[in-house]
Amino acid sequence: MLEIKNITKRFGHVEAVKDISIMVPDGSFLVLLGPSGCGKTTLLRMLAGLEHPSAGQLIFAGQTVSDGDKNWTVDPAKRNSGLVFQSYALWPHMSVRGNVEWPLKVGQMTKSERTARVDEVLELLDIHQLAERYPNEISGGQQQRVAIARTIAPKPGVLLFDEPLSNLDAKLRGEMRSELMRLHRATGATTVYVTHDQIEAMTMASHVAVMNHGRLQQFGTPDELLQDPATSFVATFVGTPPNNMIPVLKNGSGFKVGSKHMPFAPPDEATESLAMFRAEALKVNHEESATSLPMELVEMSAIAGRTMVTALRDGLRLTAITDDPPKAGIGQTIHMELPPEPACWFGQDGERLH
Amino acid sequence: MADAAMSGPGRRVYFQQGTVLKVMVLAILIALIVLPLLRTVLFTLQPETITAWSDVLTSRLSENLFYKPLTNTLIIGVFVSSFCVLIGGFLAWLVVMTNVPFRKTIGVMATLPFMIPSFAAALAWGSLFRNDRVGGQLGWLQGLGLDIPDWLAWGMVPTLIVLTLHYFSLAFTIIAASLATVNSDLVEAAQIAGAKGGKILMGIILPVTTPALVAAGSLCFAGAVSNFATPALLGLPVRMQTLSTRLFGMIEVGQVSRGYVIGILLVLISGAFLWAGNRIVSGRRSYATITGKGGRAKRFDLRGNRWPLLVVAFAILMAATVVPVIVLIASSFAPSSADLFANWTLHYWIGESSPDFAQGIPGIIHNNDIVRALLVTLALGCAVAVTGMCVGLLTSYTVARYREGVLSAAITQISFLPLLVPGIAFGAAYIAYLGAPIGPFPALYGTIALLVIAGTAYLLPFSVQTGRAVIQQVGGELEESARITGASFFQRLASITVPLAMRGLAAGGILVFVKIIRDLSLVVLLFTPTMPVLSVVAYRYASEGFAQFANAITVIILIISIAATLIANALQTKSQPWLKN
Repeated sequence: MLEIKNITKRFGHVEAVKDISIMVPDGSFLVLLGPSGCGKTTLLRMLAGLEHPSAGQLIFAGQTVSDGDKNWTVDPAKRNSGLVFQSYALWPHMSVRGNVEWPLKVGQMTKSERTARVDEVLELLDIHQLAERYPNEISGGQQQRVAIARTIAPKPGVLLFDEPLSNLDAKLRGEMRSELMRLHRATGATTVYVTHDQIEAMTMASHVAVMNHGRLQQFGTPDELLQDPATSFVATFVGTPPNNMIPVLKNGSGFKVGSKHMPFAPPDEATESLAMFRAEALKVNHEESATSLPMELVEMSAIAGRTMVTALRDGLRLTAITDDPPKAGIGQTIHMELPPEPACWFGQDGERLH
Repeated sequence: MADAAMSGPGRRVYFQQGTVLKVMVLAILIALIVLPLLRTVLFTLQPETITAWSDVLTSRLSENLFYKPLTNTLIIGVFVSSFCVLIGGFLAWLVVMTNVPFRKTIGVMATLPFMIPSFAAALAWGSLFRNDRVGGQLGWLQGLGLDIPDWLAWGMVPTLIVLTLHYFSLAFTIIAASLATVNSDLVEAAQIAGAKGGKILMGIILPVTTPALVAAGSLCFAGAVSNFATPALLGLPVRMQTLSTRLFGMIEVGQVSRGYVIGILLVLISGAFLWAGNRIVSGRRSYATITGKGGRAKRFDLRGNRWPLLVVAFAILMAATVVPVIVLIASSFAPSSADLFANWTLHYWIGESSPDFAQGIPGIIHNNDIVRALLVTLALGCAVAVTGMCVGLLTSYTVARYREGVLSAAITQISFLPLLVPGIAFGAAYIAYLGAPIGPFPALYGTIALLVIAGTAYLLPFSVQTGRAVIQQVGGELEESARITGASFFQRLASITVPLAMRGLAAGGILVFVKIIRDLSLVVLLFTPTMPVLSVVAYRYASEGFAQFANAITVIILIISIAATLIANALQTKSQPWLKN
């Protein structure tokens, strides 16, 4: 069990992480997901022991490793964890072998054990042929593999990754994703992975924690986030393409979308609310109807045999996935038809309405 | 339950991360920098010394004590900084923006004058231009039969020229660096908009480089007003006083409190100008140019003016570098500077004492005073290089690693404080600070320890800057990734930090070494006959009329400085196996 209990981190007067609690079983793949500056890297650095929490506890397998309330900490090296840095942080004056071996040397492993273990992990990551090269002599993707090899060599029980794929190009990123999942199965280590890329989160995670402004927005499996988003932030941050969020205003006894009355009713007749529609639930029409919105067509792109259509009006941006693309040109008016019921409702504060 | 779990391998955190380190560094900086300055101010506020303020500012003496030197100082500051920005800016423009021939050579030569001690040019000026106004040897030009007027031989004009030729290279460095960031895209965008050369210069390049021009001007101003050697050698013989020579004179004759008051006022003046320059620049941060892929700008075509401008540039550079060095070397061989290139003798270098020569002063290698000064200077240079880099590295590490908080801000501010303090005022402060016993500690006046501590403190802004560059190379995630493996502080130091930082540290240390061995203004007040240093010995010989010895010693300092600088450059650029591509 990896437990994050009421963790808060303050830098001066700034609260980077606010009262976050998460619990995942051993062997999980936990992704901390959020935009830049949401506090996810700070939380990861606290897990690694590089920062000390201002309040709350971190517990690895029953052992408290950080306690901000009691000012208790276990040194980074004694946490049975390993961290892969965003910049890889390979030591430039050591060869690939040297980089992987040095932490084992620090851990006082004997020479023969070290050699065997280094060979094993280099083989596992398929970089044994680079063993004698220096970091500046290998490509970015290879450096990434060395950084991972160096981290898993001491067999940590908890593996931490700080946006490890952000410096790779799109194709390599896809390959490394599968590679990391293979490694996760091979090592069985509990993994905490920080990213701002929701595709990485959705493909790799067993659990996702979505963060924004230092707060936990939602914690759950990728499927739960998609099916049952807890806040409007989560609803628009995850999923490809993102969900549509349409403001609905109470007007007399009815409800208005844009300037048009529509037969929707939010729970408790909220005066201002947001209705969420999935992209695949929207239809694109050439004729106006009772639940359609006239909008300007701004983007069309083919995706896996279907067409993604994006339209814009008065700052409202809607995306639909459709089988037959509209026969309108960019800049012309199309009618986005909404289904009879939204998938769910959110209040003006972003919280889910039931 | 949580308590039971805490019996494991953890430990209690008593302080916020980094607090212990920050407090330690702050204590060192306060002891090195704040206390001496504070002690100086307090000294002048005692009941028996407080009259020094009115003596200096409002008595019938104050005209001579303060206001005349102040006027001279301000004239020097304003003229030197203006000329420096003009000359430095002109050369920087030639090197960075135009297609003048020999651009690289001009670029290298323009950085050299700052390597030469400022008193070298003043001594060389004397060897060339001295007339018979104050007696002693005549200069070469007078010896050739030219009648050198007093205004060209002594006082304000030669001071302005010599200081400009020294400080323009500082302005060049700053302005050239700024011009180099003017992206070719900026210029090309203006060209596409239809602007011609002059419009581009006035409309784009000048506004973008204004912060650099202001910074260069204020740094040259601060340097010129606090310079001691040049006005002392060229102005004092005709009783032209500046604040720094006044401060020196007051302390020499024992009027210590008046000297300190003048020192405090000098700090305030040079500090005020640096602060004002900084304010002007900081309001214009938005001009920071965005670096893109923009290649080198197409160079401004000078056409027919290429060669004439080259001649102008070379004339300035020769006057600032080659001429003084040749004159110094020649004059260390010539018995009479009036006849600089005749009757050369090695006596001033290797001669035994003889009553026929220089009142029996033996040549340098037989002169115990000079040999001792050489040894003391080298020891001082090495010691300050080591201590300076240690404190500088520790300070920059602390600030880089723990950026937040009041303590870090205080550390940064204090570590750059010596920039505002002219060397001679800093020397005076250290006499006030460590010249008398403090509690159980004996007075350090006359010991090398005083020189080392004062030199370390004085050069701290420089060593912190060097340390910061080193930390940027090594620090951050490289160090954290070692920490996370469980390596102890010393394991990390030995396997990661030192191998990566060694060359940078060594190069920084050598540059600190060069700065301290050619410094005069800081050590001139801390000098004692038991602890002589080369620059002060040279200054003494020069003021007693033995120009050959002064010049020979200056040549030695020059040779050591140049050799050390070359080694530092080689260390910095020498390829490292793990940096090869």
